[in-house]
Amino acid sequence: MQTNFTPEQLRDPEIAVANQILRTCVHCGFCTATCPTFVLLGDELDSPRGRIYLIKDMLESGRPASEEVVRHVDRCLSCLACMTTCPSGVDYMHLVDHARAHIEETYRRPWHDRALRALLARVLPRPRLFRAALIAARLARPLRFLLAGKGVLARRLAAMLAMAPARLPAPSPIERPRAHPAAGPRRQRVALLAGCAQQVLDPEINAATIRLLTRLGVEVVVAKGAGCCGALTHHMGKHDDAMEAARANIAAWSHEIEAGGLDAVIINASGCGTTVKDYGFMFRGEPEPWRARAARIAAIALDISEFLTRIGYRPTREPPGLTLAYHAACSLQHGQQITGEPKALLRAAGFTVAEPAEGHLCCGSAGTYNLMQPDIATRLRTRKLANIVATGADLIAAGNIGCLTQLASDTLPVVHTVQLLDWMAGGPEPAAVTKARAPRLAH
Amino acid sequence: MSTLAPAEEAAIAQAIGEARARATPLLLAGHATKDGVLRPVQAETTLSLKNHAGVTLYAPNELIISARAGTTLAEIEALVASAGQQIIAEPPDLTALLGTEGAQTLGGVVACNLSGPRRVTAGAMRDHVMGLRAVNGAGEIIRAGGRVLKNVTGLDLCKLLTGSFGTLAAITEITLKVLPAAETMATLVLPGLAARGGVAALSAALGAPFGASAAAWLPRAQAERVAELAPFAAAVALVRVEDFRPSVSYRGERLRALLTEFGAAEILDEAASRAVWRAVRDAAPLGEGEGNDAVWRVSVRPSAGPDIVAVVETLGGRCFLDWGGGLAWIAAEASAATHRAITQAARAAGGVWWLMRAPDALRASLDVVPAEPAPLAAIARRVKAAFDPAFILNPGRIHAGL
Amino acid sequence: MIDLPAPNPATLAARERIVAGLRALLPESGVIAEALRLKPYEADGLSAYRQVPLAVVLPETTEQVASVLRFCHENGVRVVPRGAGTSLSGGALPLADAVVVGLMRMNRILAIDYADRLAVVEPGVTNIGITEAVRGAGFFYAPDPSSQLACMIGGNVNMNSGGAHCLKYGVTANNLLGLKIVTIDGEIIEIGGAHLDAAGYDWLGILTGSEGQLAIVTEVTVRILRGPEGARAMLVAFRGNEIAGACVDAIITSGIIPVALEFMDRPAIHACEAFAHAGYPLDAEAMLIIEVEGSIAEQDDLLARIGAICRRFDPISLRISQSAEESAAIWKGRKGAFGAIGRISPDYLCMDGTIPTGRLPEVLRRIGEMSESYGLKVANIFHAGDGNLHPLIMFDANDPESFHRAEAFGADILKLCVEVGGCLTGEHGVGVEKRDLMTVQFNSVELDQQRRIKTAFDPDWLLNTAKVFPLTAALAPAVPHAA
Repeated sequence: MQTNFTPEQLRDPEIAVANQILRTCVHCGFCTATCPTFVLLGDELDSPRGRIYLIKDMLESGRPASEEVVRHVDRCLSCLACMTTCPSGVDYMHLVDHARAHIEETYRRPWHDRALRALLARVLPRPRLFRAALIAARLARPLRFLLAGKGVLARRLAAMLAMAPARLPAPSPIERPRAHPAAGPRRQRVALLAGCAQQVLDPEINAATIRLLTRLGVEVVVAKGAGCCGALTHHMGKHDDAMEAARANIAAWSHEIEAGGLDAVIINASGCGTTVKDYGFMFRGEPEPWRARAARIAAIALDISEFLTRIGYRPTREPPGLTLAYHAACSLQHGQQITGEPKALLRAAGFTVAEPAEGHLCCGSAGTYNLMQPDIATRLRTRKLANIVATGADLIAAGNIGCLTQLASDTLPVVHTVQLLDWMAGGPEPAAVTKARAPRLAH
Repeated sequence: MSTLAPAEEAAIAQAIGEARARATPLLLAGHATKDGVLRPVQAETTLSLKNHAGVTLYAPNELIISARAGTTLAEIEALVASAGQQIIAEPPDLTALLGTEGAQTLGGVVACNLSGPRRVTAGAMRDHVMGLRAVNGAGEIIRAGGRVLKNVTGLDLCKLLTGSFGTLAAITEITLKVLPAAETMATLVLPGLAARGGVAALSAALGAPFGASAAAWLPRAQAERVAELAPFAAAVALVRVEDFRPSVSYRGERLRALLTEFGAAEILDEAASRAVWRAVRDAAPLGEGEGNDAVWRVSVRPSAGPDIVAVVETLGGRCFLDWGGGLAWIAAEASAATHRAITQAARAAGGVWWLMRAPDALRASLDVVPAEPAPLAAIARRVKAAFDPAFILNPGRIHAGL
Repeated sequence: MIDLPAPNPATLAARERIVAGLRALLPESGVIAEALRLKPYEADGLSAYRQVPLAVVLPETTEQVASVLRFCHENGVRVVPRGAGTSLSGGALPLADAVVVGLMRMNRILAIDYADRLAVVEPGVTNIGITEAVRGAGFFYAPDPSSQLACMIGGNVNMNSGGAHCLKYGVTANNLLGLKIVTIDGEIIEIGGAHLDAAGYDWLGILTGSEGQLAIVTEVTVRILRGPEGARAMLVAFRGNEIAGACVDAIITSGIIPVALEFMDRPAIHACEAFAHAGYPLDAEAMLIIEVEGSIAEQDDLLARIGAICRRFDPISLRISQSAEESAAIWKGRKGAFGAIGRISPDYLCMDGTIPTGRLPEVLRRIGEMSESYGLKVANIFHAGDGNLHPLIMFDANDPESFHRAEAFGADILKLCVEVGGCLTGEHGVGVEKRDLMTVQFNSVELDQQRRIKTAFDPDWLLNTAKVFPLTAALAPAVPHAA
């Protein structure tokens, strides 16, 4: 596609990258078909091609972001379905990242929007704060009627209250920095991204990961100083916050590499995985040693399903006779192009795996999207759950905490893939499985 | 009554141009085998295209044949058969049914868009007309489409002229897509099914992955008029498969197994199949020009075919269903009342009709095809004028005043 | 660069009033009129041509479409219909004084009937969306344009879209039963229905492929077909275009009609392989994708017959797909071909002529010569069974001179197609791109005949003006025959 940047503009390396991305787009329109917001809203401005156009215009003009551009870019889930679809290989992810940073720099949002974003950016990446906030939210639930208004703020706050789990698991000691030794001879040594929000919402995911890996002869290190991957703030366009979080991780894991060597950095929340794998790009303009370190970390970052496929996984229990609806998290299937591995592992573990219709469409979670855009997120969730229920599965398996939280409902229990794999390889039965089996036992 | 029968296209154009100048209506014809279809045309002069004949191009490797409008269909069928190919839509020969004589021409078949049993799976004549030459009512020679299989250049006049019964232009040359003829064919016969069960069986066959190419249902009285079906002494549902030999035997058996819920099927061999489908194609089971009965074709959604059959039974008429149940061939008393009953049934089923044969006085006074809603009728009139400004070509053939 | 007609100054002057009038007819989010938000609607899949429209409306019902058209008709405002905006001929290119009527919100599937083998859908349903809705019952909607993932059935009807499998299953026109249309004066008319064939004029036939010149389609009844038991693709690599072309001829004359017969030349093979990783033969000059259908035994039988023919033409390799995934990858490469060119060139023009299949080697040779003289690379993709040729001319849109050369090169290719007995466009439509080349294929009598039909539907020429017909004649209703 034709672009109209001046030579001066192109000297800015960020603009040069954007220009390269825009030039790849041939405007074929394939991306519109798989974009959740276009499917729902039927306006090209809410499609990747429309957003690319708006971003192109914004960057070419060099003007501050306008309210209209912000509205349509904010509606983007960053599910990256468009990148899976795009025959030309347009790097939409980095283009929209760039646009978000530009918006954050040049656009002054309404006060409540700023306040909410600041709050989320501060709370979510910090497990203790997040935990306290969830408890507060739970306490505030009875006051939901106060938020009956139709305003954006009211709906967002209502969404936040609705999202807060009714029961919060007790904090787990497992994420504390330490090395979990391999059971038996050590085959590999990996660092686990213990993460932030996930460990508060469901500490069992990390626990299952560590149990499963150590049982397979892998030493698992939770590195001191590592924390949030930076994705949450990155997607809000808060570039500096994101870089700070990423830098902390890079430092912690680089230290581990120097100390005892690392075969991989394991991520069991695929939303984080997409970002960690992008550290190389994020730090491409940073001075050494950060650039090289970031590239190195990105190169060894693996989703847990990739790693298990690589080292080999075998169940020890008999097949449980359960049918799973495998929900492909966007960050796995589109962001990291991991599609076959989780399903193959679950089948190997003895489950029947059903794939819901419209598997390419986002469930609406998308980081903080379900809090910022509750209307669209709710419509996507409803659509997704309907497709999942139609499979007749016993429970839902997914590889990303965001999706698990979003899809939690009274209809079907949700569980992380790794918990099921751990169970079948000798770990405890996940609570979701017990729940899924309950009505059948009652028969 | 005078007849012009020029051999050259330029002469045809000149004749039409002169008729237009004098505002003289023309009856367009080939060998006039389908003159009795739809409404009678009031014209002193007949312009016959029968002498504008001959195949102008045949490229079997490109699946294309071009011929002038007056070429007989028989000649074209023989030529493509010699290269192992066939006309896809399997057009019928209705001379026996209509009580006319002579060899129908390609131009006539295209002008009437007449298709046979294969229409339900492989498309109508209109689907395979790739190009045309024609003379419009101003005496101008126009070309539409071309000689290639895929062409969306400009408005598709081929579609508009095919089936326009000579009311828009005199088609002078036609390019058709052809396809290889199947190596062999076979027919499943399911005896003893009433119309509704019969059509359900046809739908099951057409909805199966075994490439059925035609599907028809005949009540007992009509089946008994076909020598190969008479021994069944019952109503029959018929399903045809055509392909390479191993496929035909494989698919015949798969269809037989699939249709067991409708009864035990017998399979007719190639020779019997050819005879049966020729009879269905030509509407022979209705009987040839019997008595003073009128003949209708009614096209409805296949599942509504049995509704039409039921109405015809109450009228004491004869009928059978082709196109998987969607085409009813009907013969019944030639009266306005019968016509009303049949067309009401067709309309109730969301379908359409063509009055194919009736005494002149009757067909001049009836809606031989459904009337169009006012906005569409207005467009039709403007489209007619766009081709034939003086309204001289086959005036009144489809609708009075058009 | 393409000429667009001078905007009607009265319409431009009345912009505020027109937008207000439209807002009164539609929900708030259904009217777009801010300059910034109009910009993304300035082009379709042919992004070399751009024009920001007066306004965009996004109706959700037939009645809303009718009210918009009635309003535009009463106010003499031009209308450009748009679906997914994937047209490669600029069929949805706006005009400065036109209202774009986007039908993307009308994306419901209204009825599916397996016994009568049909589906009733709104125009904004994607082509693949129909197949996905009926796949569970083993059915499919046959026409499969390469953009089928995104392109919408309303656009398919208007362009009479084809696809890789139309050799066996036909194009859009052969797979429709009925339409609901809205005329420019706001009349809602139903055409056809659930039955076969028209009694009276074949309105379905003339509307299909009419490129938005005659009416706006708001509902489509399509035929759905039961899918075959199975299908398998075979890749055959050849040492030259001539050899591959001769092989195609031999297959067709043997009496076998494969369900698809696709040809790619060397540059196309390389570009598509980079996208799909389908194992295309990178050492070949030409490649055929040949697909057959039926039971496993039937597939084996047909592939053996075809394989025997191919071996007479000294193929470099002959590979039969061994799995559904492998077949999917083979087709992914072919269907993503146009976009995949985006990986090796910033921009491309996709031509769409049809030629008599026997002339392929000669046409490719001459396109190769033109490529050298214009100094622009070209990749060729060809629906070999039906003669539809897609040369993809690569250029750099940031270099205006290169674009002008690409345009001229494209025009020369299309003239060549007509010269050898073919036509300007096999499935993409004339649009704005080939509008001025119509005089190469049709004489003025023939063009006038088509223009009078346009006038019969749209007397003031408000619908998709400046498309299909050469601009010299396109702005006024056709002159009626002199008395």
